[in-house]
Amino acid sequence: MLSYLLRMAVKSLKRNPILSALIVCGIGLGIAVSTTFITTYHLMSSNPIPHKSDSLYYVEMDNWDPARGWNDDKPGAVPNQITYRDMIEIMKSNIPTHQGGSFKGSLYVYPPAQVARPFKVVARMCFSDFFALFDPPFQYGSIWPRSADKGPEQVIVLDYETNQKLFGGQDSVGKTVRVEDRDFVVAGVLKPWQPQPKYYDPHNGAFEKAEQIYLPFEFLRPWELHSAGNTSGWKNFGENFKEYLASEAVWIQMWVQLDSQKQKEAYRDFLNAYVNGQKKLGRMLRPTNNKLLPVMEWLKEEQVVPEEATSLMLISLLFLVVCALNLIGILLGKFLARAPEIGVRRALGASKRAIFLQHIFECEVVGILGGALGVLLSLLGLRAINTLFEINFRFHLDVKMVAAAAGLALVAGLIAGLYPAWRICSIQPAVYLKEQ
Amino acid sequence: MLEMKKLSKIYRTDTIETHALSEFDLEVKRGEFLAIMGPSGCGKTTFLNVTGLLDTFESGTYLLDGKDVSNLNDAEMSRIRNDKIGFIFQSFNLIPDLNVFDNVDVPLRYGRRSAQERKKAIEQVLETVGLRSRIKHYPSQLSGGQQQRVAIARALVNSPRLILADEPTGNLDSQMAGEIMDLLGQINQQGTTVIMVTHDPDLSARAARTVHLRDGRIVGLQPETRAPLHEQVNAPSNSEATC
Repeated sequence: MLSYLLRMAVKSLKRNPILSALIVCGIGLGIAVSTTFITTYHLMSSNPIPHKSDSLYYVEMDNWDPARGWNDDKPGAVPNQITYRDMIEIMKSNIPTHQGGSFKGSLYVYPPAQVARPFKVVARMCFSDFFALFDPPFQYGSIWPRSADKGPEQVIVLDYETNQKLFGGQDSVGKTVRVEDRDFVVAGVLKPWQPQPKYYDPHNGAFEKAEQIYLPFEFLRPWELHSAGNTSGWKNFGENFKEYLASEAVWIQMWVQLDSQKQKEAYRDFLNAYVNGQKKLGRMLRPTNNKLLPVMEWLKEEQVVPEEATSLMLISLLFLVVCALNLIGILLGKFLARAPEIGVRRALGASKRAIFLQHIFECEVVGILGGALGVLLSLLGLRAINTLFEINFRFHLDVKMVAAAAGLALVAGLIAGLYPAWRICSIQPAVYLKEQ
Repeated sequence: MLEMKKLSKIYRTDTIETHALSEFDLEVKRGEFLAIMGPSGCGKTTFLNVTGLLDTFESGTYLLDGKDVSNLNDAEMSRIRNDKIGFIFQSFNLIPDLNVFDNVDVPLRYGRRSAQERKKAIEQVLETVGLRSRIKHYPSQLSGGQQQRVAIARALVNSPRLILADEPTGNLDSQMAGEIMDLLGQINQQGTTVIMVTHDPDLSARAARTVHLRDGRIVGLQPETRAPLHEQVNAPSNSEATC
């Protein structure tokens, strides 16, 4: 029966090819616009580390001004980074499977003169556990040992591009790279890695490039390195670097991996105890409000997906509905013009249900054709967005989005076809039999 | 085959009521060839539509094959139309973008036959109406007579017990009309009940019985019904119910 319905639908579309093309284009346009904006939303809001996003937690604590909260517009909000002193203290816990604070720094690399001129890089100052937390893939070598964090030892991990630039893409493990005034031994080289969004530190743009080099955190002291990202404070940062490190300035992103509920509860107790201890020392005088945010909640709190993307997606869906509603009139006219044929079919034994199904099927065929056209157009739309907006993010259609486009096309076909199909199946056949 | 008692059909508008059928009584026996005559607007087509379950009626009873059809739902009526009734129309009513095979296939598509059974039935019925060779032709490629033959094949393909023909020769010349009437006669001789609406007394003369309608009623007394054609040895002259 399906093949018969398909044949009838194709014959019907061929009967008036220009009108059929207009209907397909109507649906196609709606699908193209909605698929383009749903794809941008989908990719921006996608889970960057699905295999462990429920066990990675971003740590927040409220060290802010007792007289005035972190965000007047959001009661209960706490600073979205932590202080150096708090990071050092809470990293003494042995509860998390992995843990570590990190921050973004700006440094200079001095390659041999014959290789390249000195250049500025964005570095991630982090602990060995950073790699265990976020699983960046290694092309050569591996993470530096935990012991190297303490020295700190002069070890470095390069990203793929920096290794290309410095060593022509060769295995550079064991070779040295001069950063600022020190030589660092390459412990590992990453494969191309660009978490999207850059969830471990979205503060300066959730879709900015990942760092070019990774260095042990404690090199901040000899270099007196300040964060190249956001730093916020409610007190004076101090006269010198030592005071800066001991200040209430927040500039470190702290992550922990807690693999079980028990571990999570224990770590929460640990944080509460730590904050209570600080209160006794005259710090953290606001109500205790420690947060352990899983990856997706953290991204939601940081509003990684711009409100505009959400609005555009909703508007594009409305546009699709409007396209479908506009087609109701055209389909109604097309179907009613066929009333005499339907009268004959009814006389020959077709039930109302059979006639309804025949026409809904035709609308769904139109929907699928429109969907296919829409997917092609949305590829152009995404290419245009990639060209127009200079962000470090490539919007592309994936299988899920193609499936979503197909689903939307079927829904659009149904919206457009329900009323016309109902009207044509409800005609009084006797009236049209005599008219033919 | 069918029995109508005090059947009434009224068309209503905001200002007027038209009694298309009024206190209508009729009994048609299995295998009968009945002609319905009457002036325009007398209710002939309404009678065919009600008989063919394409239209409802206000009051009275209608038994088709002994079954009261007044309370059937759409699916049940469609099933009966598909199984038991074949329609032949004045303007053939073939679907223009379907070829002969597909046009005859339409009623079979609403039944439950396999593709093989359908193909066999279509070829057989087209053989009967002499159009086997035109199986791939479209209606526009056929003459009026051939189109009506296809329509008859379509009406017969499900082996219905009742054929309802609404002026089946109205759009044909006299030679073609004669051929179509011969075909209807053959169908009736094989035991199928035929009810035919016509304006033409010569055509009604081919029926075993003629009923005259006026203002939605049968007028005059119905004479004794002749034996169905297939039971007649020598066809006698036609008898009529007169106005």
